[in-house]
Amino acid sequence: MATTENLSLRERATKPRPAFRLVPLLEPRQKVGETRRIAVYAASLGLAALLSVLLLAVSGVPPSDLGTEIAATAFSSPRALGSVLAQMAPLVVAGLATAIAFRANFWNIGLEGQMILGAICATAIAIFDIGPEALRLPLMMLAACAGGMGWIAGPAYLRQKLGVSEVITTLLLNYVAFNLLLHLLYGGWKDPVSSFPHSEQYEAVERLPQLGWQTLTWALPFAGILAAALWWILSASRLGYLLDLLSANRDMARAVGVPVAGLSLAAILASGAVAGLTGFVISAGIEGRMTQDFHVGYLFNGVLIAFLGRNHPLGVVIAAFFMAVLVQVGQSLQVFFGTPFSLVRLTQAIFIICVAGSEFFLTYRMNFRSAS
Amino acid sequence: MTTGLALRSVTKRFGGFAALEEVDFVAHGGEVHALLGENGAGKSTLMNVACGIYAPDEGRVEIDGKAVSIAGARDAAARGIGMVHQHFKLVPAFSVLDNILLFNPGRPAAEVGAEAQRLAARIGFDLPLEARAGTLPVAEQQRLEILKVLIGGARIVILDEPTAVLSPEEGTALMGLIRGLADEGAAVILVTHKLHEALHHSDRITVLRQGRTIAETTPEGMNPAELTTLIVGEQIVEEPELSSHVGERVIWLNGVELAGDAGRRGLTGLDFQVRAGEIYGVAGVAGNGQSELAEVLMGLARPTGGTVWMDGENITEAGPAGRRRAGLACIPVDRYRHGLAGRLSVADNYAVNGVLAGRYGGWMWLNRAKARARAREAVEEFDVQGVRGMGQRAALLSGGNAQKLVIAREFEGETRVVLAHSPSRGLDVRAGAAVHARLRAARDAGAAVILISDDLDEILLLSDRIGVLSDGRMAAEFTAPADRAEIGRAMVSHGDD
Repeated sequence: MATTENLSLRERATKPRPAFRLVPLLEPRQKVGETRRIAVYAASLGLAALLSVLLLAVSGVPPSDLGTEIAATAFSSPRALGSVLAQMAPLVVAGLATAIAFRANFWNIGLEGQMILGAICATAIAIFDIGPEALRLPLMMLAACAGGMGWIAGPAYLRQKLGVSEVITTLLLNYVAFNLLLHLLYGGWKDPVSSFPHSEQYEAVERLPQLGWQTLTWALPFAGILAAALWWILSASRLGYLLDLLSANRDMARAVGVPVAGLSLAAILASGAVAGLTGFVISAGIEGRMTQDFHVGYLFNGVLIAFLGRNHPLGVVIAAFFMAVLVQVGQSLQVFFGTPFSLVRLTQAIFIICVAGSEFFLTYRMNFRSAS
Repeated sequence: MTTGLALRSVTKRFGGFAALEEVDFVAHGGEVHALLGENGAGKSTLMNVACGIYAPDEGRVEIDGKAVSIAGARDAAARGIGMVHQHFKLVPAFSVLDNILLFNPGRPAAEVGAEAQRLAARIGFDLPLEARAGTLPVAEQQRLEILKVLIGGARIVILDEPTAVLSPEEGTALMGLIRGLADEGAAVILVTHKLHEALHHSDRITVLRQGRTIAETTPEGMNPAELTTLIVGEQIVEEPELSSHVGERVIWLNGVELAGDAGRRGLTGLDFQVRAGEIYGVAGVAGNGQSELAEVLMGLARPTGGTVWMDGENITEAGPAGRRRAGLACIPVDRYRHGLAGRLSVADNYAVNGVLAGRYGGWMWLNRAKARARAREAVEEFDVQGVRGMGQRAALLSGGNAQKLVIAREFEGETRVVLAHSPSRGLDVRAGAAVHARLRAARDAGAAVILISDDLDEILLLSDRIGVLSDGRMAAEFTAPADRAEIGRAMVSHGDD
């Protein structure tokens, strides 16, 4: 070759080797054991926690106070814990909705839109007193499911028939849904009592009953039951198995006779339905009415929780609890230390980056040794 | 003759498993050096050590007689080692020139472009620098890969199974190109398991088996049988063996048409039938409609005309599920596209038929223990090796064992029709022979076997009858034993001329 005589290249080629490597050689791993996976995941969470503490220390919250603050606001009293658990319920449902879609390789970025439609449909049942009182709540639930499904059906159709990216369609439909919500709340559905832009208060039969412990309602057990049901479906049923096959290799699934189109459509619609239920849980379980900003932040949190929970229903429950604690502590820091709430967002981001980055250590092994 | 690349007593372990044990390998400048071995013999690991993807645990790497430590692929490239991977590392949406620039960052485009033109002309091909890499035919994409590493200054060129994706003609042309590189002084390392490539196109041969160097020899005075013995450690000779009992027709195609489009050849007026107890070989140069025919048979592509029949039923409109219920078994050409889900476990990959048939419970409950036990039996029965547990990911199986797993699953239950598309592609001699034995066994048990392959040797070895697919139509039909040269002529004819 022309370069055979290239002296500089030859020098480079035969540059003497160092005794050890300062910069490790990254070798692709052949396989990753379950223990390593858990260890790396735990280490990344630990690192994220450490970084968050440092960040808060820099912004004026001494680490010693932080510990007390977490204990005090989240765990010290039944009241604190009750408040965390109350916040957790809709987060669980939102995380589940996102996780189902992600499991089917459908990037549902339209959680908030589907929540809104779910809440609108449920509220319609409540406002217009549709159905007997005994069936009012189940009807509202079904309506919320239908609303969420309806809102995701369009993007699902466009994706399956025309290959239109669902990231765009689901995202943009959020804005459509939000404007529809405002239209209703500033128009015909305005609260007749206070004239504020939120719906009239639901009647008692239209609200999830109190649990009788702290301020908790049936929203929490509802989220728990939903998580358990989805856990069963995803890991113990034929549907879950086929869905795994589908997301692992769609071509193969089709070739061996899995009803690919129907199955992914079912998963997508289920995601929309659960998203609709998120709206229902907040409206009927927490607010007692449909407000104009009940949905804010859930899209982001849903993705976050699904990601941290590895799209696994039990993981989602744990991640949602963690997120609820974080929010609770954040609010308290805001009050007592004047810490801006954006720091809480930043903390969340640190956790995401650390967990996402940990993939690297599962993919590669770092070899510092030079050959002997 | 100068020493190009030398790997001395290289040992590489993964966990407790020694992929390479004190392997010696020397490739000189100016020679084509074939590296032979079965799947899992350590060829890829050795070459990954050579180009800096793995560091050896013991032993050393020498370039031109001096020990070096290679810090990653980029460093290897800087030291003049270039690797052309089996799966191309191209950005399909980038132009040819951009792909070359991506690999050679920091140099002016005009200069690189001019050098590319010069180099390409010297080794006897030309490439449209402005064309998108993804639109080039496979053979040209491969040339682009070669060009990429040459412009990077590679004097040690490693080609990993380069002919796996090429037609026989393209393969021969590539071998000419490789010889040209060696004549210019490069050390060319040809990683392959095709014996004839090593015998006809290399100057020296190194054989690896189970992570050890078994032999370093020259092709002179070697014959395929001897070489096979070196590679697998025993003698494997496959002889043609015609069917003893041919029954009624089981599957037949009537004037099947498939509209072609940009990336896809159409099928025109396909008529053929396959009877119980025979292997029908579909020969042809790759890209003449084989993949399309396979998709039509699997039920993945719906014909735009004509009908497909199986056991007297019109299955033209039936999808994969219906056909499989009727007794169709498929060994697809791309195991990791249509055959297996690499990131799922061996058990999950095996279970799918049983799950769909409801053998492991209804919709709401899947008896995984039962599925796992059944998979364990099948793995045993079909001699799938390298399975450390049913929970192991399928992607970790070697090519031959992955293929055995596919076959184990497909041959579960009663098989009426077997569709095998290049079933021994990428497999070593031993695994290939095992696959062939399974196909014969299926035939002898009364199945109708359709063997689509662009390896004419495989077709001649197995088929009872042979159809030649050319330009999307069946150009000719032969009954075994058939004349190789005649089939070859039919392969390059275009039916109507």
